[in-house]
Amino acid sequence: MATEALGWWGVPLGIMAGMLRGSAPFLFVSLGECLTEKSGKVNLGLEGTLLTGAMSAYAVSYLSEKTVGSAIAPWLGVLVAGLAGMVLGFIHAWLSQQPKVNDVAVGIAMIIFGSGIAFFFGKPFIQPSAPQLPAFELGAWSNIPQIQSALKVSPLLMVGVLIAPLMAWFFKSTRWGLFIRAVGDSPDAALAMGISIKKVRMLCIIAGSFLAGIGGAYLSLYYPGSWTERISSGQGLMAVALVIFARWNPIQCLWASLLFGGAQSIGPALQAVGIEGGYYLFNASPYILTLLIMIITCSPKKTLTGAPGALGTLT
Amino acid sequence: MLTYSRWRRTLEAVSIPIAALIFSLFLFGLFCAAAGANPFAVYGAIYKAAFGSWFAFQNTLIRAAPLMLTSLCTALPARLGLVIIGNEGALVMGGIAAVAAGLSVADFAPPIVVQLAMAIAGIIAGGLWIGAVGALRHYRAVNETISSLLMNYIAIALLNHLVGGPMRDPSSLNKPSTFPIPDIDKLGTIPFTRVHYGLLYGIVVCIIAYYLIQRTTFGFAARTAGGNVKAARIAGLPVGKLTIAICFLAGSSAGLAGMVEVAAVHGRANESLNANYGYAGILVAFIARHNPIAASVVAILLGGILASGSILQRQLGLPDATVYVFQGLVFLVVLYSESLYGRFAIFKEPDVVTPPTSSAPLAG
Amino acid sequence: MKPAVKTIEMKELTLPPELEVVNMTKQFGQLIALDNVSLTLKPGTFHALLGENGAGKSTLVKCVMGFYKPTSGEVRFNQQVQAIDSPRDAQKHGIGMVYQHFTSVPAMTVAENLVLCRYESAALIDWKAEYEVLNAFMATAPFKLPLSVPVAQLAAGEKQKLEILKQLYLKSKILILDEPTSVLTPGEADEVLGLIREEVVAGHLSVLLISHKFREVTAFVDEITILRKGKFAGSGRVKDLTIADMAEMMMGEKRIPQTVQKTLHPDPAPVLQIQAIHANKDNGLEAVSGVDLTVNSGEIVGIAGISGNGQRELVEVLAGQRTATDGQVLVNGEVYRASRTEMFQHRVFVLPEEPLKNACVPHMSVAENLALRTFDRPPQSKGWVLLFKPIREAAQSLIKTFNIKTPSPETPISNLSGGNVQRTVLARELSSDHINLLIAANPCFGLDFAAVDYIHSEILEARNRGVAVLLVSEDLDELLKLSDRILVISEGKFAYESSIAEADFASIGRSMAGH
Repeated sequence: MATEALGWWGVPLGIMAGMLRGSAPFLFVSLGECLTEKSGKVNLGLEGTLLTGAMSAYAVSYLSEKTVGSAIAPWLGVLVAGLAGMVLGFIHAWLSQQPKVNDVAVGIAMIIFGSGIAFFFGKPFIQPSAPQLPAFELGAWSNIPQIQSALKVSPLLMVGVLIAPLMAWFFKSTRWGLFIRAVGDSPDAALAMGISIKKVRMLCIIAGSFLAGIGGAYLSLYYPGSWTERISSGQGLMAVALVIFARWNPIQCLWASLLFGGAQSIGPALQAVGIEGGYYLFNASPYILTLLIMIITCSPKKTLTGAPGALGTLT
Repeated sequence: MLTYSRWRRTLEAVSIPIAALIFSLFLFGLFCAAAGANPFAVYGAIYKAAFGSWFAFQNTLIRAAPLMLTSLCTALPARLGLVIIGNEGALVMGGIAAVAAGLSVADFAPPIVVQLAMAIAGIIAGGLWIGAVGALRHYRAVNETISSLLMNYIAIALLNHLVGGPMRDPSSLNKPSTFPIPDIDKLGTIPFTRVHYGLLYGIVVCIIAYYLIQRTTFGFAARTAGGNVKAARIAGLPVGKLTIAICFLAGSSAGLAGMVEVAAVHGRANESLNANYGYAGILVAFIARHNPIAASVVAILLGGILASGSILQRQLGLPDATVYVFQGLVFLVVLYSESLYGRFAIFKEPDVVTPPTSSAPLAG
Repeated sequence: MKPAVKTIEMKELTLPPELEVVNMTKQFGQLIALDNVSLTLKPGTFHALLGENGAGKSTLVKCVMGFYKPTSGEVRFNQQVQAIDSPRDAQKHGIGMVYQHFTSVPAMTVAENLVLCRYESAALIDWKAEYEVLNAFMATAPFKLPLSVPVAQLAAGEKQKLEILKQLYLKSKILILDEPTSVLTPGEADEVLGLIREEVVAGHLSVLLISHKFREVTAFVDEITILRKGKFAGSGRVKDLTIADMAEMMMGEKRIPQTVQKTLHPDPAPVLQIQAIHANKDNGLEAVSGVDLTVNSGEIVGIAGISGNGQRELVEVLAGQRTATDGQVLVNGEVYRASRTEMFQHRVFVLPEEPLKNACVPHMSVAENLALRTFDRPPQSKGWVLLFKPIREAAQSLIKTFNIKTPSPETPISNLSGGNVQRTVLARELSSDHINLLIAANPCFGLDFAAVDYIHSEILEARNRGVAVLLVSEDLDELLKLSDRILVISEGKFAYESSIAEADFASIGRSMAGH
């Protein structure tokens, strides 16, 4: 096979391919979580949102193919995935802002509920195949098939890559962005300025869940590109850690997502050249990486730089 | 007067969760109706599958056993104010350690010693796993929820790595597994039932945990630190040691669940260990409001619901994920009910008539 | 964008309006917090509002700012009566207030905080234009701050400057400063107040400063108004008054320490020895900088000081709630790290301030809270096992002795009134018949006279039994009444020490003020 022809070059290539292919879900979910956490709440339930998004995107793409055609159907799926995410986001936002209710616990409940909903309604869609999202063939210049397949890029990834700086700009240069940061960092100061904390958080959580839903659509409509109950390997949960790693900065969420997407494909890339020994351990590298980063950067004596001040408090 | 005030609070603590359960049943009925199933047929099927016959109830109890143990992994740290969700990871680590210990002594030791070795190994491995989370929390201020979550994935990767490589039984082809525990060393069943002794472990550990939290000086110290760290420090209580100790105990309960699954159900360690008992245990702990005795009862209820999945599929054509939807609904409604405590006048203690301040010099 | 440009153009040399508060009264239920007080803030003057805690200073400014609606009385601007119903109304009249605590968003830059504090601004922020405006503003502002630095990286003094800059940016002509220097070092305080004074002298601003630091008042202020117990207690020009005059107006007539029944302890031995203790505040800045102190048996040592000078951190170190960064504490000659064993062995007890927050577990029962010190000892436990009967019996007996009003020993302590929570803690800490060392911090804060007398007699009785008592208080009367020896803490160091017989009221006041 051509892998042999490429030899060890297959490893970095495989990792880069994995980066371009596998980082989009991380990116969307972490941007969604970033937006949520900037307002001072945690949404651990994005795992459920991701699954619901994946399922609804796939279902809608499959069901609407006959009426709107196979070019539009997957995009309709993406939209519906976002909307489904918003519904779950609304539940989380409402519940986690009730008095005495812990947002982390609500997140865990939303994981169970969201995945339950996804599996429940997704059952009939495991078999049929739905029209997939198109891809840009950026590797057409090369005649090596590995490079061609590695450089296939989904337009959705590009959207995500655009959203990251857009969100950074939003936090910096719009009145609403400043409001969100004020609410997340110092609710007292925000309240003194007459900002409604509940409303801001509600909108942030819903918008964040919209992004997570789209991340799910990427999973089922692009890569791996089918709907199964094991489609998400915890990307939704990882988002929380990823945002910490990215220091609540959307641009750094982008780099972190690429890093995690790449880390995720170390195992398969090594396997492709015949190293199978630590396959699963390499697969765990994103988690180990995150844990190590947290151990190194956290300190009992001071709070993390970049962390919204209200995060993890019952306000 | 004493019993009177207790009566009201107990009533509140019992009726709010029950009302939450009933309300979530109602919501679930609406959901089923919307999905085209007759809600009453669904209720009936769940009841029948969970508690309808002795056979069914034994199934329920088999599922309840690990749930009782994993729920403690969330419930115990919750008394210290920590949200730990590393149940799945601790269970997996406990299972791996139990298999390793069992296999290494099985050749020469009698069954009772093998089982003891497996239990101790499971307890220690799970305990160290979550104890590390507690230590990271105390010494490095690493958020315990996220670290325990990450540790779940690491534990599962470790499991896959070990059963796929170093510990693999070459004869396990489709599903990489470790060598099996000899049948003679596996946990037996309770006489006259199909239920293995793991249930007894679960019940006994829940009772011990309750006793530990409510009736010992250690539990008192932990509840104090969980309620107000400043008050705990003013009383000289060692908050850091308490954190690590409670996390160790929490992890060891889940680790024991892993041992039970390995020693009584699977007979070996493989990916079946990772069967969501850990995540369901979180739900059990929250519904039980982190009370270990209540957790053992809730575990049986939830075990029944989990057991009903396949019947719902066969009899009513509902996907087996229906039970997840139900679990999710119960969890959400129970969390909402947290905000209802103290809101109902009926559960409030009647105020004592306070005499005017002149006769009560300290009533500031 | 556009509105910001106007901000600067409008900054012309008009004098601020004259602010008059006329016969203002504010009643909260039975309590008259403010009783017929009048005050005039002349244009372009630096005016201080002085008074002890609870004298009604903040009630007065909150009425002016529109947080409270006064029961009677009015506010006039240039002789025109104006109703102020909200802080936003106050803003419209050009009054801005700077609070004791910071109201800036720490994660945002100075520029972002300034833009955010405008009530009206555009949805999109054109940072280029904003920066031009802000730079122009900074050029004319009395103090300069780096615009693009996050507030979290500013020192306390700079944060306080930002709070003031915000008001200038909002074109406030009258600034109300509520103890703005309580979080600043004396150097920072002088700088900030000095620069504000320049603005006042230039006729850009009028300032009403709430303070109890005489040093600042004499250095920067033109006129003062003094409140005592909600009533007007005097006013005048600072240059006509001495510190002693002001202290006398603030605290009422000169007070002689009340004589109390004190028995002389036969052979005093050192119980508590504090050696070169250093401790930090929560934000990492040093609060206690090397204090030494010995408290003997049968002696009450009082520590006076304005809050925020390190006394809270010192008490927290002694209570085991905070780790000292340097130095050591000895009790009965042995190193003391506030572990439970040491507390029990040396019989150390603590009456902290805000008992519900500092010494109680809110959702646990009164009985459990009473057992916090004794639950792991017989008779309340046997080995690891808690014995509920003795715990309940002990609680019932304490509830009776200390007259705690609770429906039952099982009631969560958070259901009790503040006074009864205080009683519960008092019962727990003072009931033991073999106390050796008692550390008390503002034990009577917020209580009425009868309760105060009760606590005082309990503390004195403990002293007469031979207990060593360290009493930290902001109430000078209390200290003069109870202490055998008095020290003043200022900026984390002891600034004064004297036996009570030789204590000089005026020097204590000056030391407290940092002289």
